[in-house]
Amino acid sequence: MRTLAILATKLSAHILHLFHRGGSLPGTIGLKIDSDILKGLRFEGPIILVTGTNGKTSTANMITDLMSYSGYKVISNRKGDNLRPGIVTTIVTNSTILGKVKANALVLEVDELNIRHILPNIPVSALVVTNFFRDQLDRAMEMERLISTIESVLPNYDGELILNANDPNVVRLSLKAPKAHVTYYGIEENDYSSANTKEASEGKFCPKCNERLVYDYYQYSHIGKFHCPNCGYATPKAVVSLENIDLINQTFTNEGIKYKNPYEGMYSMYNAAAVMALAKYYHIDYSYVQKVFESAPQPKGRNEKFNINNQTCVLNLIKNPTGANEVMKVIEMDPSDKNICIVLNDNDQDGTDISWIYDTFFEKLMKESTKKIVCSGLRANDMALRLYYGGFNGNIVIETDLDAAVKSCMEKKIVTYCIATYTALLPTRNAILKGMK
Amino acid sequence: MKHSLRVCWLYHDIMDLYGDKGNMMVLKKRCEDRDIDFVLDTCGIGEKKNLCDYNLIFLGGGDDKTQFSLIPDLLSRKENIKQAMDENTFILLICGGYQLFGQYYTASDNQKIDGLKFYDYYTDTGADRTRCVGNIIIEADLDGIKTQIVGFENHGGQTKNVSKPLGKVLSGYGNTFESGYEGFYDGKILGTYLHGPLLPKNPVVADFVITKALQKDDPEFKFEDLKPLENPFDEAARDVLFKRLNVEKAR
Repeated sequence: MRTLAILATKLSAHILHLFHRGGSLPGTIGLKIDSDILKGLRFEGPIILVTGTNGKTSTANMITDLMSYSGYKVISNRKGDNLRPGIVTTIVTNSTILGKVKANALVLEVDELNIRHILPNIPVSALVVTNFFRDQLDRAMEMERLISTIESVLPNYDGELILNANDPNVVRLSLKAPKAHVTYYGIEENDYSSANTKEASEGKFCPKCNERLVYDYYQYSHIGKFHCPNCGYATPKAVVSLENIDLINQTFTNEGIKYKNPYEGMYSMYNAAAVMALAKYYHIDYSYVQKVFESAPQPKGRNEKFNINNQTCVLNLIKNPTGANEVMKVIEMDPSDKNICIVLNDNDQDGTDISWIYDTFFEKLMKESTKKIVCSGLRANDMALRLYYGGFNGNIVIETDLDAAVKSCMEKKIVTYCIATYTALLPTRNAILKGMK
Repeated sequence: MKHSLRVCWLYHDIMDLYGDKGNMMVLKKRCEDRDIDFVLDTCGIGEKKNLCDYNLIFLGGGDDKTQFSLIPDLLSRKENIKQAMDENTFILLICGGYQLFGQYYTASDNQKIDGLKFYDYYTDTGADRTRCVGNIIIEADLDGIKTQIVGFENHGGQTKNVSKPLGKVLSGYGNTFESGYEGFYDGKILGTYLHGPLLPKNPVVADFVITKALQKDDPEFKFEDLKPLENPFDEAARDVLFKRLNVEKAR
């Protein structure tokens, strides 16, 4: 049965490949034949899972590079999706018919709700968790329930947990994993830390005793140094803790050595810290980390810059208030005159509930230097209404034709910022390339 | 006389799950554009506030854990809330806030908590953790003002025994999967599962809430006394949902 399932998965992947298709269908077929298909596989070397709301793709990609550079033969789902069928496809198509996985390291980005399907079924050696924010609440239920689905599979987990020490909702996973060992990473107080947070905030109550948590400082949103005045639950000591954060030059220091983070924003600094913590746990030399940072490719639509014919355009994905607020901060730091195009869709992958735009500080864009904001996408009018009630006094334009919307933002001596939700990202990217011709 | 809207947003710092602050932004702008003073005050757990001082109380939604954590504080304010209601302070309740004014609330893990018990309605949890999720349009009659209200609902709670629903469901779920009715309105409180947030795309409801609140200080004040306001976006945003849900828009 198991061999049949493996064979069917591999065969369907092969056939689909002939037709230039791939995706998660082979895994779906394999799971239909044998729902425990993963349990029958034989692995060698470290198996690393990366999950969390924001940053899991870049973190998983950097970890994949780190393992490769340091000599492992790595399989990852970099090109596949992060749900169970996609993960099964990735692993099984890289296995022999007898179920031996053809690599000595496995790095998987896993959707938060799918951890419960993956972790108990393969011998995971490290689980890296970035953060938990409200993200597509309509799909992912309330965050509390999402975290509890992960907690439910931790009691027997005896590998390493690599956790963000500054997120109380991530640290709490350690409470449910008595057999696991924990490596924490974090960021020290720095120029950008603040005593208050105005951003949508999840980490309000102590997960142990429900008392309100007290923060010494916030780095962003609910990420920071916290403690519970009642039971003593607090930010644990981090094994890797970044210092001297410089968001302009994107640099930080660790153990006295300066590094340049390939990505912008405080949230990306945490991804860098996670990669270093993982290197530390596997005794991988930091020179390889340095190499990962230097060679990290800029993912499409994550502060992706286009410069053609003296015209500058910057594209960013927004998918939840926290990620979006970080994007706002990066745009706010640019004093140049700018036009902004916001493309808001509400398809399933975007999240069908768009109320999060009211939890996002679009007010950060409402500056003298913002000349106009053009709204497009399926819910363009809702976006415009948000800006109107936010008090934007500049020009708000609705343009449902995406190409026209992007093009209308491109003016001489003015920087164009495009912000798009998930399903609007690639169409917006194409509109930019078309518009710049 | 110069009117003022004095809002107390209860548990603003923890019950803010679905962009509820958008409701406050709308009330603020729609008051200030009409030269009505707008004062927003907040009240957290343990804070001393006399709720009778306000003409509008607002309470939004939160996750189960948050909702449980504020119950002792909320129940300790029961007499004060009752007094404010008797003195015509209007109350706007979204999602969790709406549930907590009834008899009880059952969370998705079947834990049951007492509500304020001002009304007979009560909230059970959806079978097998199912939730009512999606865009919704209802038809409401607000003291004679007929209006269609659009929003987004996302609730596991099934609110039953609702004697005076806010409106009839034209598309979506409402108080339960099958009831066909949504929310609660009795002239004193307006409770609903609709967020999105509620007020930006429903200017009639926003103005109605303002009217009800101002009537505390000025019983003669009427909805028609509010200067009409227009913006180019709200009708268009509503149209998108009417079209998508295939609901005919009332004229």
